[in-house]
Amino acid sequence: MKLLVCVKQVPDSTVRVKVAGDQKAIVPEGVTWAISPYDEYAIELALEHKDANPGTTVGVITVGPPRARDALRQALAMGCDDATLVTGADVETLGGLATARALAKVVDEVTPDLVLCGKQASDDDQGFVGQALAETLGWPHVAIVTKFVASDGGTEIWKEVEGGHEVWKASGPAVLTVQKSQKDPRYPSLPGIMKAKKKEIPEKDLASLGADLGGPSVEIRAMEPPPARKAGRVMKDGDPKALAAELAKLLRDEARVL
Amino acid sequence: MKVWVIAELKEGELRRVSLEAVAKATELGDADVLELHSDERASALAGATALAERARAGAPDLILVGATPAGRDLAARLAAKLGWTYLSECAELRIEDGQAVAVRSMYAGKVRATVSGTLPAVVSVRAGIAQVADAAPPRPGSVQVAPSGEGLEFVRFEETKTTGTRVPLGEARVVVSGGRGLKGPENWKLVQDLADVLGAALGASRAVTDAGWRPNEEQVGQTGKTVTPDLYIALGISGAIQHLAGMSSSKVIVAVNKDPDADLLKIADYAVVADLFEFVPAFTEELRKVVARD
Repeated sequence: MKLLVCVKQVPDSTVRVKVAGDQKAIVPEGVTWAISPYDEYAIELALEHKDANPGTTVGVITVGPPRARDALRQALAMGCDDATLVTGADVETLGGLATARALAKVVDEVTPDLVLCGKQASDDDQGFVGQALAETLGWPHVAIVTKFVASDGGTEIWKEVEGGHEVWKASGPAVLTVQKSQKDPRYPSLPGIMKAKKKEIPEKDLASLGADLGGPSVEIRAMEPPPARKAGRVMKDGDPKALAAELAKLLRDEARVL
Repeated sequence: MKVWVIAELKEGELRRVSLEAVAKATELGDADVLELHSDERASALAGATALAERARAGAPDLILVGATPAGRDLAARLAAKLGWTYLSECAELRIEDGQAVAVRSMYAGKVRATVSGTLPAVVSVRAGIAQVADAAPPRPGSVQVAPSGEGLEFVRFEETKTTGTRVPLGEARVVVSGGRGLKGPENWKLVQDLADVLGAALGASRAVTDAGWRPNEEQVGQTGKTVTPDLYIALGISGAIQHLAGMSSSKVIVAVNKDPDADLLKIADYAVVADLFEFVPAFTEELRKVVARD
């Protein structure tokens, strides 16, 4: 089976992001970049399939600025077979639909059996590109996926829903948007890192793909940190019963949330 | 302004977030409520296909969907199918000069952004987008969804052990979350008893779901759920930045921790420095009295 994983490079989740003076973006200085967490789960899901089914190949692709090459290098070190960087002017402000259309051009060339994406990127938190990619390709998609296995003439796909999982069967190619699953993404091994260093990462020019990069996009008018919370009332040094009674009273009479 | 709401039902009733979306739609223009019907489980693709056909004929300016996991999935595919603007998980929404203007969180809650896109648009809205109106919502119109097809078939449903009949985390007005301070899954009765008294949803820190003490679906924060309840009670959670991002927009925060330096205590409205094994049972008892009196 041929798998293609779409990833995005985002600020590492432990980074405190700062909003730039013009409020249109975050301050890039001092940011540690990483593969978006759900995309890492997508890589892990693909690599687990490869572990169980030798002969599977796992490609990885990103549409992003040149620094996103590091994310691809990381994916190769984890065990992906090949990587592609799509880059060009204005790539960082590309909307979800345009990103999906650019990805679709490469999917047409690569012809994978399945495309995996994280269910949303942890920077814009939109959760749009996977569905938009499937729509552009004319493929079905399954969202919030935690597992897939090849079955007779297709793929069985586990989708997380309230109270359990729906199992869907795709008879042909499909896009899966991947949810966090019980198994954490693997760390790159030392040989993996060495091998990844030597791999070529071909670059494709965004404008030369022939994708329609117009269409509606989302404009960021202003970014701000979430409203700061004032330090509240500290309650300590008492008999737990007395503290409990006091807090219950405060929640009812002062905070009025009961 | 023609505004459509795609309503989501839970056990035959409109979900709270759908009711709020209806209230929002009524505030913005002429609201129409639609409900998807299918003979079997329909995929988001099948739902989007049926709705897109209806939308091309009916030409609404705006389609609102509750930002539940299913709602967001449907909304994303629908927006792509129609080639319309898509704004996801919006906490506030207004219309200004032919633009949908929304406030939504980015960077897993670390940034609050005002964004805009040209109408027509599909917008998924978060619980809290509007006050549910007192009047009964308009009767939903029905959209028939064709059986899946298009290369995707429903096979079966696999039930997993869940939190039962509790309110879903994303829509709850009260959330009670537990962290590593609980010391082990065997102590979760403390969290559950407190949640039961308040009719609250259960949450957990990432440390706890990673350790397998609680299911992933209860995780609050980055790679988990973002919640904005009226009351968030954190028991034994120190407050990693990823957790804070997922709950710091709650209206009132109560944190209980033995460690006075825990980060969550610093942003809590009520910061209780106490041994939770002593405090929580007493607190549950007190709340039981307060709730019974009302």
